[in-house]
Amino acid sequence: MKTTIAILLLSTAIPASASSEVVDPLESPLWEYMREQFIGDDKFVFDDRVKVELPEFAEDPTQVPITIDAEALNGQIQRIVAWADLNPIQHIFTYYPHPDIVPRVSLRIKVQQGTAIRAAVLTKDNIWHVGGRYLDAAGGGCTTPSVANANPYWESHLGEMKSRFFPRQEGGRYKFKVIHPMDTGLVDAIPEFYIQQVAVRSRSGQDLAKMDLSQPVSENPVITFDVRNSGEKHSVWLRDNGGNEFEQEL
Amino acid sequence: MNIKKALVLGMLLSCQSVTAAPLSYDLQAKKVADNTWIFKGKLEDFSNKNGGNIVNTGFIETEVGVVVIDTGPSLRYGKEMRKAIEQITDKPIKYVFNTHHHPDHFLGNQAFSDIDIYSLPKTKSQLAQHGNAFAENMYRLVGDWMRSTEAQLPTKTIDTTGLKLGSHHLKLMPFSGHTGSDLVIFDEKTGVLFASDMVFYQRALTTPHTPGIQLWRDEISKLKAINYKVLIPGHGPISANKAPLDQMSAYLNWLDNTLIAAAKAGLSMNEVIKLPISDEFAGIKLSRYEFVRTVAHLYPGYEERFF
Repeated sequence: MKTTIAILLLSTAIPASASSEVVDPLESPLWEYMREQFIGDDKFVFDDRVKVELPEFAEDPTQVPITIDAEALNGQIQRIVAWADLNPIQHIFTYYPHPDIVPRVSLRIKVQQGTAIRAAVLTKDNIWHVGGRYLDAAGGGCTTPSVANANPYWESHLGEMKSRFFPRQEGGRYKFKVIHPMDTGLVDAIPEFYIQQVAVRSRSGQDLAKMDLSQPVSENPVITFDVRNSGEKHSVWLRDNGGNEFEQEL
Repeated sequence: MNIKKALVLGMLLSCQSVTAAPLSYDLQAKKVADNTWIFKGKLEDFSNKNGGNIVNTGFIETEVGVVVIDTGPSLRYGKEMRKAIEQITDKPIKYVFNTHHHPDHFLGNQAFSDIDIYSLPKTKSQLAQHGNAFAENMYRLVGDWMRSTEAQLPTKTIDTTGLKLGSHHLKLMPFSGHTGSDLVIFDEKTGVLFASDMVFYQRALTTPHTPGIQLWRDEISKLKAINYKVLIPGHGPISANKAPLDQMSAYLNWLDNTLIAAAKAGLSMNEVIKLPISDEFAGIKLSRYEFVRTVAHLYPGYEERFF
């Protein structure tokens, strides 16, 4: 029975690859639309060197861990855009890594259903390198009220951050957590309220990493960055869509 | 392309369902001690194929009536279970217990709706809160096996630590390691310990509602003090020795130590789920699958400790 299905699937896949130049390896029904939204008419390639790491299934659709790793393209990166094809709000983040930071970031996201999760890396030659993986999910992550909605804890702790530096074989890792409801605006009577900007700064005020976040980033975000030079001091700065700014030494 | 695929799949599946035999769990009561039987579940995760029958349920025939321990994952299971019990004894069913609030242990309740169903008080409130969502999720996971199944709450809560039924004296022991409210039943006459999901054996334990690994581990030590003859785990083969409890302690220790070390090293969740699982547990079914789930449930708490 299983082999029959496999053969039939294979036979339907062949004409598709023969009839179009580039086939989405994840066979997502929204690939073309996503390409228009995020890449437009720019040149692009599907590239395994852009790694999207995630579990095979979303045990908790409000907290799905994703890791985007573009270390293989280090030094050539302009920006990295991550999205989930079948989320009601697809964009997850746009990341501008400085060459002194490892172009790898881990955080958790909300998903509304099983979906392809993508990362597209724009290199300096103006070509997008697209990586991705499929995530299975029962769904509902974007339209579930945040835990904060039922618990007023966040009101007196908004923007509070915890962070720690972990030495690595080369350089080191910053992991930080910030208290924020990250409301998507898709739940009845709960307006969108989420962190839009993150910057990791060196002492000299230079942005080592700049990220623009969207609503699918999970409540109380936990974000992990790796830096190459562990000797230098860094701080993290955040701003939400309500204009609140938060800054802390890492 | 995807639509085509779906159509082909749909056609294949519909052909299959036309010729398929009516769904049946084919429950076989297995005698494990005097007056004591169990229905053994598979060492699998919920699937369309097994209909959710991954759980051990059981019953005890006493002089004054039958005690049923857990009702399985669906109305269909509950009905089949009741029929199988009635083939073995003509004594009336007096008590039905739900050991905890997970779907594979209570969704057969409808088949026993004319009998008092008991649970710990906290289990009843957990069922009131999550029961419907569990039932809905089971429809998604196993499909038609669930037909007409609805979450039915226990009618009574347990307010005693023991129950005398004819010559059987049942100890009703509240624990909390697996879900925050876990009933373990010990029949002092036969020495059978219905350990519920406090004990998984040769099948990886699940953690979506555990109050904590350390608490669970401490409670396993308490279970070791019980002088049982036969242990019925919630999932996995029965045992006449302490091997299931030793495996539980070892696995919980390994989980706790692994998650502590990972959090101390600053690992991200995606790094943690790929960590090697100790060879010691190679024989445990679904260990990788459940480890990935456990990381989702518990790792944020460990991370919090090491910020």
